[in-house]
Amino acid sequence: MRLYLELFKRSFQRMLAYRAATFAGLLTNLFFGLLRAAVMTALYSARPEVAGISLQSAITFTGISQAIISFLSLFGSYEVMTSVYGGDISADLLKPYRYFSSWMARDLGRAAVNILLRGLPLTLAYALLFRITFPAGPAQWLALIVALMLAWAVCFSWRFLVNLAAFWTPEARGIGRFAFSLALFLSGFLMPLRFFPAWFTALCNLTPFPTMVNTVIEIYLGVVSGPALAQALLVQVVWLVILIAAAHLVMRAGVRRLVIQGG
Amino acid sequence: MKSAAGIYRRLIGVQVRSQMQYRASFLLDSFTTGFSVLISFVTLALILQRFDNVGGWSLAEVAFLYGMVEVAFGLMDMLFSGFDPDNFGRQVRLGAFDQLLLRPLGITLQVLGSQFLVRRLGRIAQGAAVLLYAIVTLHLHWTLLKLLYLPVVLASLVCFFGGLFIVGATITFWTVESIEAINILTYGGDEMMSYPMHIYPDWMRRFFTFIVPAMFLNYAPALYFLGRPDPLGLPAFAPFLAPAAGIGTLLAALLFWQFGIRHYKSTGT
Repeated sequence: MRLYLELFKRSFQRMLAYRAATFAGLLTNLFFGLLRAAVMTALYSARPEVAGISLQSAITFTGISQAIISFLSLFGSYEVMTSVYGGDISADLLKPYRYFSSWMARDLGRAAVNILLRGLPLTLAYALLFRITFPAGPAQWLALIVALMLAWAVCFSWRFLVNLAAFWTPEARGIGRFAFSLALFLSGFLMPLRFFPAWFTALCNLTPFPTMVNTVIEIYLGVVSGPALAQALLVQVVWLVILIAAAHLVMRAGVRRLVIQGG
Repeated sequence: MKSAAGIYRRLIGVQVRSQMQYRASFLLDSFTTGFSVLISFVTLALILQRFDNVGGWSLAEVAFLYGMVEVAFGLMDMLFSGFDPDNFGRQVRLGAFDQLLLRPLGITLQVLGSQFLVRRLGRIAQGAAVLLYAIVTLHLHWTLLKLLYLPVVLASLVCFFGGLFIVGATITFWTVESIEAINILTYGGDEMMSYPMHIYPDWMRRFFTFIVPAMFLNYAPALYFLGRPDPLGLPAFAPFLAPAAGIGTLLAALLFWQFGIRHYKSTGT
């Protein structure tokens, strides 16, 4: 455990060093948020509420979904792939830690910096620019934090799993781009899933992707509560377990195929 | 001594041949490149079943804006990928740009020929499909002038986005890292121009009219092609400013690029 804590700390400090890049990233996230808020306002025109979501909540949605992009690494990451192609993986496999967990600890460090330096400031900027919704009461805040952590873990496991494609093909980046776009499409990142036709939402709910974004958003906005909220968290846990198991199985099969060139 | 065009053709030819070596990978990449952009349009189409319109514009009308921007951005991304700030910043960091400077050839031509991403055809194809959908659905009133002007607007958009890439690339001379903020202009401009401009707050619209002339490259010409009244009170000739805005942006970017090269200091790697 101490080992993983150390990996987490190192990764946290390393991320913290890129402050200028982080600030530039924050500005970009905010700008896209403002664009999306304008589109949302135009869509609502005079309607006070659509599918149980007020305009104020819909604008909040654009802010929160932008705020968690970097925390979740929602657009994808290719680090494990790079380490397979570069051969670094051979050294990592010899080290006395679990490969999956070591990357998870590092990714948590990255995620923590991003929620602090990009997620929170962006939400704050939104609170200054718009009238936004906040979770009501400590129970909802607690549920939100749990949902956020689970969303990150699900998203990380998905990214890890996709990266393992590198064991089978020398050009896995294309597969990665596709897998990450698919996640973006079905996660409810672009629009709350409640806005979509029922058949599409049902389709999304057959995949793990809504648990990365839509669950977090719905808990934040308070559109799910009581037993529905507990169920939403449970679905996140179930997908997390499935994805972690899949990642381990695929990893085992991949390592058996692994050939490292040179020394 | 070969002509510049001949050398450019050769540089691109090498790129195309090498990228076509892995046929399956190329096809998947093209498809994915198109898919990752198409999802935003499909999302809009799906939720418009509930919302009907965006700021008074129907799905087909937004599709016209979207299709024009995507075809142009895809073309630009293919032609100007040598200037892609992310990619170019890496060349500067690794010192690969210094090698280009040593060769007895125009530097702009070399950077232009250094990268040519054929897989962007996927993005162009999906943009073209959306544009075709718009044109077929809308029953536009075509005149000879409109038919001739449409490709001019597309070419102007390509110049415009190309100019933004060149500005982004030039900035990396000083920052070395590609700064993500330039994405506000390139990808942000692309996203913004996919919707009618009258939905944005005043400050944003002013910035994208007077500082970055995006207004004249998509929204103003679209009003003319779609035959819609102008809610913003632009001058009557505004739809025809596209070539001036596009070529103007590209020329200004090239001047900035020349200035950047004169002040370039290598990273020493």
